[in-house]
Amino acid sequence: MSFTASQPDTSYLLRKLHSFTGILPVGAFLAEHFWSNSSALVSPQRYNDVSQELQTIPFRLAVEWGAIFLPMLFHGGYGIWIWLRGKSNVSDYPWAGNWLYTLQRYTGLIAFAYIGWHLYTERWLTHGRSTYANVAEDMQNPWYLAFFVVGILASSFHLGAGIWNFLCKWGLAATVKAQQAAGRFGAVVGVTFSLVGILIVLSFRFDWHPFSAYLPNK
Amino acid sequence: MAETKQVIVKVKRQASPKDPARWEEFSLQWRPSMNVIICLRDIAENPVTRDGKKTTPISYDSNCLEEICGSCAMLINGKARMACSALVDQLEQPIRIEPLSKFPLVRDLTVDRQFMFESLKRVKAWIPIDGTYNLGEGPRISPEIQEKGYPLSNCISCGSCLEVCPQVNEHNQFVGAAIISQVRLFNMHPTGAMNKSERLKALMGPGGIQECANAQNCVHACPKNIPLTESIAEVNRDVWKQALLGWLTG
Repeated sequence: MSFTASQPDTSYLLRKLHSFTGILPVGAFLAEHFWSNSSALVSPQRYNDVSQELQTIPFRLAVEWGAIFLPMLFHGGYGIWIWLRGKSNVSDYPWAGNWLYTLQRYTGLIAFAYIGWHLYTERWLTHGRSTYANVAEDMQNPWYLAFFVVGILASSFHLGAGIWNFLCKWGLAATVKAQQAAGRFGAVVGVTFSLVGILIVLSFRFDWHPFSAYLPNK
Repeated sequence: MAETKQVIVKVKRQASPKDPARWEEFSLQWRPSMNVIICLRDIAENPVTRDGKKTTPISYDSNCLEEICGSCAMLINGKARMACSALVDQLEQPIRIEPLSKFPLVRDLTVDRQFMFESLKRVKAWIPIDGTYNLGEGPRISPEIQEKGYPLSNCISCGSCLEVCPQVNEHNQFVGAAIISQVRLFNMHPTGAMNKSERLKALMGPGGIQECANAQNCVHACPKNIPLTESIAEVNRDVWKQALLGWLTG
């Protein structure tokens, strides 16, 4: 143990990067994604307008890879590495935090697999030009629909529990009370994202547009 | 009828780390206020198993018998706890007694917790007060710091927090909650704070604070009710400031 300054270990930096990327950009992108897709709840036309706007942003490939795909790959890949180095013991110690620890790993894996498939079907196969009609057609397949619902629930749970983890692990919620409040905040995020996500799926599945009244009368 | 009441105890035995583990069952005379250490002592007095076979006394660590020395942590009915405060009347029978699983086994219920003591050395879990000349009086400590520090100073290094932590295992040299909490204690002491950055740096190496995954089992298992998750969060904040901003702010 030397007295002089030592640098943080690589594993320390990667852990911190893993924790940080879960919120920014991955968590933030999930929020943006749900927000944009909520436009389906207004009308198919509104959805197509929003998605075309996103499909035509400048530097699109750089933004997609730099801010979405690569951070997700790192967060997911390194997350699996973390999982392999832990040893869940929830059957011996079934406390709430321990359940969250275990579920965080399974939901992470489900979300990672789902997102890979989701990108393949809705981004790669359509060459990044998906329309309302493409997605609505996919939703008619019950297996697609079921996988969407599972993926949305897993991602929302993972983000909600992840926000709690993040606030605790960076010492932003340090006291017991603050950690409880952080937990409630995470739960609200998880439940809200789940609900909004399911509503979007229902909108495509049943051609249901509850906010169509917002549109000006023609 | 009370005289004939029996206590059934199953103990996991292992003569040495190389020998195979086996279970032995004992039937003991019930006594009021009996705890698990009394069971082990009764077995030592008459080392005969339930089916009448002669055996050897069980090897185990214990000392103070009042949850203050930290030496008798073991798995009782599958849970990490202090044997001295585990009362027989509150336990389901047969009482299963096993050694802690996260430390190298020595014999029977005796484990080697040297890893914890090495970790305490690694983070300099002490306050340097010795010099080649009289260093004089230390600074006064505010009642607020005293109140925060006292519960942390109750740590008995029993290892329960490491035992229940999913991140402490053979893949990983995580120092565990107790050591991180001691870093908080010694860093909040005005004299101890002179070594603050050294302690923080020791926690950003392999097996450092980054291995914590917030399962929060430690705080439930701690027999001394130390606010371990609070300690981890606070030290985490100090460590990332040191690790990520140290090169900017010096």
